[in-house]
Amino acid sequence: MNDTRKFVISSPPHLKSRDTVSNAMRDVFIALMPVTLVSIYFFRYYAALTIAVCLITAVLTELLFKKLMHKKPQINDWSALLTGLFVALLFQATTPWYKAALATFIAVGIAKELAGGLGWNRFNPALFGRIALIMLAPVYAYVNQWFQPLTIHLGSLDTITQATPLAMLRAGLAMPSVSELFFAFPAGALAEVSPFALILGAAYLFYKGHIGWRIPVSILATMIVLTLITGENPIYHLVTGGIIIGAFFMATDWVTSPMTDKGKIIYGVAIGALIVIFRVGFMITEGVAFAILIMNAFVPMIERATSRPQFGKAKAVAVPMAEKK
Amino acid sequence: MEVKQFFGGLDVPHYKSFSEHKPIKAAPLPEEIVIPLSQHLGAPNEPLVKVGDKVKAGQKIGATDKFVSAPVHASLSGTVTAIEPRIPGQPVDCIVIAVDKEQEEIELADNDVENASKEEIISAIKEAGIVGMGGATFPTSVKLSPPPDKKVDALLLNGCECEPYLTCDHRLMLEKPAELLQGTKLIMKVLDVENAYICIEGNKDDAIEAIRELNDDPRIVLLRMPTKYPQGSEKHLVKAALDREVPSGGLPMDVGTMIQNVGTAVAIYEAVRYNKPLIERVVAVTGQNVQDPQNLMVKIGTPLSVLIEECGGIIEEPAKVIVGGPMTGKAQQTLDVPVMKGTTGVIVLPPDMAIAEMEYNDCVRCCKCVEHCPVLLYPNQISIYCEAGMIKEAMEWNTLDCIECGICSYVCPSKRPITLLVQRTKPLIRNMMSAK
Repeated sequence: MNDTRKFVISSPPHLKSRDTVSNAMRDVFIALMPVTLVSIYFFRYYAALTIAVCLITAVLTELLFKKLMHKKPQINDWSALLTGLFVALLFQATTPWYKAALATFIAVGIAKELAGGLGWNRFNPALFGRIALIMLAPVYAYVNQWFQPLTIHLGSLDTITQATPLAMLRAGLAMPSVSELFFAFPAGALAEVSPFALILGAAYLFYKGHIGWRIPVSILATMIVLTLITGENPIYHLVTGGIIIGAFFMATDWVTSPMTDKGKIIYGVAIGALIVIFRVGFMITEGVAFAILIMNAFVPMIERATSRPQFGKAKAVAVPMAEKK
Repeated sequence: MEVKQFFGGLDVPHYKSFSEHKPIKAAPLPEEIVIPLSQHLGAPNEPLVKVGDKVKAGQKIGATDKFVSAPVHASLSGTVTAIEPRIPGQPVDCIVIAVDKEQEEIELADNDVENASKEEIISAIKEAGIVGMGGATFPTSVKLSPPPDKKVDALLLNGCECEPYLTCDHRLMLEKPAELLQGTKLIMKVLDVENAYICIEGNKDDAIEAIRELNDDPRIVLLRMPTKYPQGSEKHLVKAALDREVPSGGLPMDVGTMIQNVGTAVAIYEAVRYNKPLIERVVAVTGQNVQDPQNLMVKIGTPLSVLIEECGGIIEEPAKVIVGGPMTGKAQQTLDVPVMKGTTGVIVLPPDMAIAEMEYNDCVRCCKCVEHCPVLLYPNQISIYCEAGMIKEAMEWNTLDCIECGICSYVCPSKRPITLLVQRTKPLIRNMMSAK
C-alpha cells in the first residue's frame, strides 16, 4: 500500500506518431537533392557557391531574428535551411552571391520570422525573397555599386551564358528537344535544369505523405487546358521555367496553402490560370512565383468559403423503418 | 451486409498481441477492496453500510432513489473499515472493505430467461447496478428506457474494441458467446427491436467465428467492421454499420439506434438469469512493460497493484500506467486506485514510450489532423483558438462536436496537445453559451 514509485503522467493520447516537423522538412530537403546535384553538375562552383551562401545566410538570419525577438532558435527543424536552399534554386548560377544572400535574408528574416515564425507566415518565404529582389530592382541598381567590389570571380563556364528556354520560346528560337528539357538542360535558374529530377523528389514527398495530389494536378491540368485554348504548346510550358518546382514544391507548402480539400483545387486552378495569363498575356518573367504569392494572399478567404460541415451536419438525417404494425 | 467506412480515422498500431491469446483467469483475492460509491454517470449514491459493518459478497452497499443511477455492491465478503475518498483527484467517497480470508460463493438464482418480461429485465439490470462497461459507465437501465418519442429500430452490440492494447471484450466474446447472444436477445426484448447487429473489428476473427457458430437467431447479424480507430465510437459505429449519421449534438437514438457494449450484454444476461450483481469484470492487464500480460476476471474494488503483481510486476521504470485505452485513458499516479465498473484495461508502457507532456511547437498547417479527424473538424484551427483563449472562435469552429478521440494529438508533427486544449476549452464554451 505504501508504494512510493513515481509514474509518468500526461494527458491522453498516450501514443504519439513518430512524425515530426523536422523530419518532414528534412524529407523536403532530401527531395530537392536530385535537382541540386544536377545543377551543381552543370554549373559547378557557380551553383555550389550560390547554394552555400544561401544556406549560411538562412541560418544566420534565423539566429539573428530569434535573438532580436527573444525566441528560442529552431535551426534543427530544418526550416531555415530549406528556405535557404529554395531561394538558391530560384536564382541563376551567375547571380552575384550578395544578391542571393539578400533574397535569403528577406525570405527568412522578413517573410518568415517577422511574420511570427514557421507556421504563421502567410507568404511562401523563398518566393517572397525572390520577388522582393525583383520589386526592389530600382533600389538595388542604386546600391549595386557598393556591392560590386565584393564579387567573387569564378572564371567562365560555357553553359552559363545560354538563354533560358522560356526566353528562347518567346524569341521564336529553335528549341532544344522536349526530352532534353525534361531530363537535363543547362539553362535558367538552378531549379529549372531538370524537371525530371524535381519530379523524382516530388514522388518521394508524395510517397512520404507530405504532399497531396490536389494542388499540383489542378495547377498542371489548368495550364494544359488554358495553353491549348490559347494555341500554345503545353508541353514546352510544362518543362520550362519554374512550373515543376512551383507546382510540386512551392504551391504545396503546408503553411501557405489552403487546408480544405476543395480549397486546394480552387487554389491550384487559380495558380495555373494566373501562370498562363502572365506567360501568354503579359510575357513577364517569374510568372509562377507571382501566381503563387498572389494566391497565398487569398488562402484564408478560400478556406472560409470551402470549409466542410462537421460530422452530423453533412446532410439531412432520415430515420428509415416506419412504425411497426 | 455491406459495411461502410466512416470518413477520417486512423489505423493506429494495435498492440493487441500481448494479451489477445491469454484466456480469462481469476485474479487473486486482495486483502482490501476499495469500492467507490458512485461508478456511473449520474446522481451520486449514498452508503448503505457504516464503518465496522460486516458485508457479504453481492450485498448492496451504496444506492440512491434518483433515476439516473446505478447501485454498487460489495464484491467480496469482509468488514467495512473506512468510508472516505481514496482516489487521487476525485472527491468521491469509497467504501473500504477488509476482505475475509474465507470467501463463500455468492448465492445465484436460476431464473427463466426466455419468459422474463420487459419490466423484470429492466429491474434486474437496475438492481445489479449495470452501467456501460465500455468505459462510458452510463446507467444501463436508464439507457434502455428511451423517451417514447424516440423509436429505436436497430440495436448495435459494440465489440469493436478499437483502442490499441485492450483485449477484455475480445476474450469475453470468444469465451462467452452464448451469454452474449442471450444478453443481446434480452436487450432486443426490452427495446422491442427486430434487428440487432454485433459489430466486431476484423482483427478479432476468432471471436466472430465463435459467435457465428452459436447464433441461431436470424434477427442477429454479425458485422465484421474495418479495423480502424475510432470504430468503436458510437456515432462512427452507427455510420459504418447502418450508414446513418447521428446529428451534431444528438444521440444515436435520434437516428433510431442504440449501442450497447458486448460486456454490458453479458452482464445483463447474468443479472437476469442469476440475479448476479455487477461485482466483477474482465480487465486486460497488458503493455510492453508488464512481465506476463493477462486478461483477468477482477472483483470490483481490487487495487491495480494486485493485478500488476499477478502479472509479474513492472519490468522497467519509469513506467506509465494507464487505466483504459492508450488513446483516451487516464495515466495513474499510483497503483492504489481500484478497478471500477468501467475499467477495461490497465496498460503499462515502458520508459521509451512513457511520454510526459511534451514541448510543442506552432502549428505548421500540415493538415494531418484535418485528414484524419473522424468528426470532420479542423483541429489545427481549433487548437490555435483554444491556445489563445479565443472561446468564441473555438465555438464557431465546432469545438463542442469533438469526441476527444485523440487522433489529432497522435498525428501532429508539432506535437501539439490538441485534445487537451479542446478538453480545457469545452467548459469555457459551455459557460459562454449559457451566459447568453
